[in-house]
Amino acid sequence: MPLWEKRKNFLLLGGLVVFHLVLISIQVPIGSDKKFLEKAVFFVFSPVQKAAVSGIRGLQAAWKDYFDLRGVRKENQDLKRELFFLGQEKRFLEDRLLGFRSEADLRASLAGFRDSLITARVIGSDAANYFRSVILDKGSLAGVQPDMAVCDRSGNLVGRTILPVSLNEAVVQLITDQDSSVSVSVITGEAGAGVVAILSGAKQAGYCTLKYILTTAQGGKENEELVTTGFDKIYPPGLRVGRIVSVKPTSTVFKSIVVRPNFSYATLDAVAVLPRVSGGKG
Amino acid sequence: MRETALRDAGRAGLAVVAAFLFYSLLGGLRPSVLVVFNAFSLVVVVFSIGRKEVFGAFLGAACGLIQDSFSLGIFGVAGLTKTLLGFWTGYVSQRLDVAPVSRNALFLMVMSTIELLLWALLNAFVLREQVDFRRGLLFLQPLVTALLGSLILQIVRRRQARRARA
Repeated sequence: MPLWEKRKNFLLLGGLVVFHLVLISIQVPIGSDKKFLEKAVFFVFSPVQKAAVSGIRGLQAAWKDYFDLRGVRKENQDLKRELFFLGQEKRFLEDRLLGFRSEADLRASLAGFRDSLITARVIGSDAANYFRSVILDKGSLAGVQPDMAVCDRSGNLVGRTILPVSLNEAVVQLITDQDSSVSVSVITGEAGAGVVAILSGAKQAGYCTLKYILTTAQGGKENEELVTTGFDKIYPPGLRVGRIVSVKPTSTVFKSIVVRPNFSYATLDAVAVLPRVSGGKG
Repeated sequence: MRETALRDAGRAGLAVVAAFLFYSLLGGLRPSVLVVFNAFSLVVVVFSIGRKEVFGAFLGAACGLIQDSFSLGIFGVAGLTKTLLGFWTGYVSQRLDVAPVSRNALFLMVMSTIELLLWALLNAFVLREQVDFRRGLLFLQPLVTALLGSLILQIVRRRQARRARA
């Protein structure tokens, strides 16, 4: 009996294992573009995911509509929507003021800001790697493109859109992902924006770490607030990111700083996708 | 023979879609539950028992790659571990009697635990970072898979026995 007949099952297993190992090895180093197979599977299954979640939410909403006073609910939704936009505008205004922008600049920045926001809902999360990514129910048809900043209801930075972006869904890389990088500055107090650093996800799930702050630097103390600088050309300047919760000395010239992000992963629901900053990628 | 194989493949396809819908609904509505419940692993172990190793391996590959495509991790890691899970679950179940409930649950738990550990090791090796075990909660996943898997298999066996009697 030939080897193929005798060991057919094990040879098939070997083939599958080699296929997966090749698939894994071509993605190292991490950070290269998504592979065609991964994109294809995402494009095929993401509409199913959206339909399932939307269907259940639709049923929930229908159930509520049946029992609730429709007028009151509609008014409530309008107010929530208004509040959402007002919250975004307020944060934007406050943060711009911190950067000592002129009033004329502020007005120019705010003009059309509301119209360019894309509101979306979170329909999925990363089951295998928590605090790394979520999936939104808006895609390229709604104007979502890769490298757009995403904020929560209160205007706190959540992350950015990354590939793959399908017609009606998009993946968001959270700022708590260890592979993410955000240019931030530490608000040191009355003097306004201070030390500039890079924020990445920390090993401790749900937290971030602040890189490259010298042990001799004035900024980078506990309880200090972080805002985006806009230097990375992805995140608009002035978005609130988080607060420093611990600072420890290391054997290197840099401090070890842990940051708690302002957004809450557990309650992440409605988000705003911000327009790309001028001079950004793409 | 061919008809049975096609019917099995059709059922497995439906189960994968059901697992994906379940995964989507939990991910959208209660993401924290995904820590202790992996619908794809459940489908792989349930279908691999009684349908031999090759079927289990291909089903595992499909389930794993779907899970990987919705994760920011390395594409193929869950595919590889679930391929091995499907193959070895099918292989061992053909050679050992794992029909009694307690033995069945224990067997599924051992297989799921090995899969989880392999997944964690591969992730740690490729990503060079520690896997977040969510304060140990992730280790409940094999237990939940084993309990639900053996429950489903018992229900299926009882239905088959009733049909045979009728």
